[in-house]
Amino acid sequence: MNAYFTVFRMRWKMELQYRGAVIGGVVCQVFFGLILVSLYRALYASKPQTMPIEAVASYVWLQQAFFRMQLSSDSELMDKIRTGGIAYDLCRPLDLYGYYYVRILAQKLLGSLLRAAPMLVFAFLLPRGVGLGLPVSLPALAAFLMCLTAGLLCTCALENLTMAFTMRTLDSRGVQAMLNLLMMILSGNVLPLTLYPDSWQKVITLLPYAQVLDTPIRIYTGQYALADVPRALLIQLAWVLLLVWAGESMWRRHQKRLIIQGG
Amino acid sequence: MAFIEAEGLTKTFTVRKKREKGRLLREKTRVKALDSLNFTIEKGELVGYIGPNGAGKSTTVKLLSGILTPDGGTARVNGLVPWEQRRQHVKRIGVVFGQRSQLWWDVPILDSFDLLRDIYQVPEADYRRRLSELTEALRLEEFLRTPLRLLSLGQRMRAELCGSLLHGPELLFLDEPTIGLDAVSKLALRDFLKQENARHGTTVLLTTHDMEDIAALCSRVMVLGHGRKLFDGALPDLLQRYDTRRIITLRYDGDAALPDLPAGCACAEEGEGYRIDYSPDQIPTAKLIALLQGAGNIRELTAQPQNIDHLIAAMYREMDL
Repeated sequence: MNAYFTVFRMRWKMELQYRGAVIGGVVCQVFFGLILVSLYRALYASKPQTMPIEAVASYVWLQQAFFRMQLSSDSELMDKIRTGGIAYDLCRPLDLYGYYYVRILAQKLLGSLLRAAPMLVFAFLLPRGVGLGLPVSLPALAAFLMCLTAGLLCTCALENLTMAFTMRTLDSRGVQAMLNLLMMILSGNVLPLTLYPDSWQKVITLLPYAQVLDTPIRIYTGQYALADVPRALLIQLAWVLLLVWAGESMWRRHQKRLIIQGG
Repeated sequence: MAFIEAEGLTKTFTVRKKREKGRLLREKTRVKALDSLNFTIEKGELVGYIGPNGAGKSTTVKLLSGILTPDGGTARVNGLVPWEQRRQHVKRIGVVFGQRSQLWWDVPILDSFDLLRDIYQVPEADYRRRLSELTEALRLEEFLRTPLRLLSLGQRMRAELCGSLLHGPELLFLDEPTIGLDAVSKLALRDFLKQENARHGTTVLLTTHDMEDIAALCSRVMVLGHGRKLFDGALPDLLQRYDTRRIITLRYDGDAALPDLPAGCACAEEGEGYRIDYSPDQIPTAKLIALLQGAGNIRELTAQPQNIDHLIAAMYREMDL
């Protein structure tokens, strides 16, 4: 158990070493947030949608603030698998799936917290309809945080599944590019899922990508009422279980047939 | 029962070739990395493990450290089958892969050590004692708070070694630990390994291409080729069979030409002098020197055995590796 905490601590130190990357990330995400919000405001000016513009702006800002949760980001882990550095991790008295899961979790959690804090403050200060609004209610805020945690567990399980896949293909860039594209579109990062046609939404909101940020944000903005929370949470947790199970069994299988080449 | 027992270890890899034109399927070839390998190692032994590239040395290490599963054969290390009782087994071993790194690139090495402490669940007091012992022996104190990426190769290798020994393993696998190190670092590393072996009775299996490592450290050497064990015994015994030639380098005062030498002597000009490669069985050294003295005034002369690398190369050639 202790080892997992230490992984967290080390990850924290690493994130703090790259303060420049954090600042760069924040600036980039703020830029994207401003562009997207202006775009939707222009759209609303000519043809208002059912979802109020304030909710769209909040959706965009929360998406941008927790951007780090979505894209797979542990290139070091990828390199380890590609170059065979994983050999060291294989001769540790640890469960590899769990070890890597914590590693990914630490990176996503700490990375997004560091970026989200300044961004959320910034977005709160923007005028209403452009910036981030308050959550619909205090219970909704609590539900939002709960579902955000479930979303985090879900995205980590997704990424660890990709890692297991990399064990097989060695080079993950192709798969990665495809999965990142899917993630960007189906998680609501490019276009809020709430703006898709209703019939599409029925399906998309059931996919794992929507569990990461879309579900918690809908609770925050009131798209999902408090009564919907149990159902949403249930879907999230079902995905977490399924993805962890799939990832774990894939790791186990690939570990058996592993080859480490050269030297 | 011996500490390490390997019996009939076999491992085959499938290598896929690029599809040739006009063929529908890719060709696959099966390469036998290990071909029913047998050996035993006793506790506290320092064994050198040599063989040309691709002989199966690293595969053996990976099998014995539980990373790979063999296709056939069995092995027991301290009573455990590495690939079956992996987690129990790896707690008691340490591994250094000379070409890879186990420490985190961006954080001070002390943090990486702390993580290893937690992974191996080393009690704090043991950890403190072991860490101070290792940092002193490996001269690491001043880098403990430096991120790995800022260390030189030699410093890094010392840190890697420290990391692999923190949990006090009974068995240490070293896979080319001296690769790329300068002379000082190499010597320091060898001294350290000797000390560690003497003080804690750590069993060491050392894979290397550096014969000096073997000569300095190992009482026993195993030679592997095409996945089979070709020799197992003391290094001098191995070399004796190939150690048949000597080399004399000499320089004359002024321009003296070499005399005619008997067949079997190879001469070459080297700088201002000559280099003569001969076999004492064919012409005794004293006779050769007398012959050389006849040609002029010798200013310097050295006689030496052949370089150990040449011997090993001759051996690999003979064994058709």
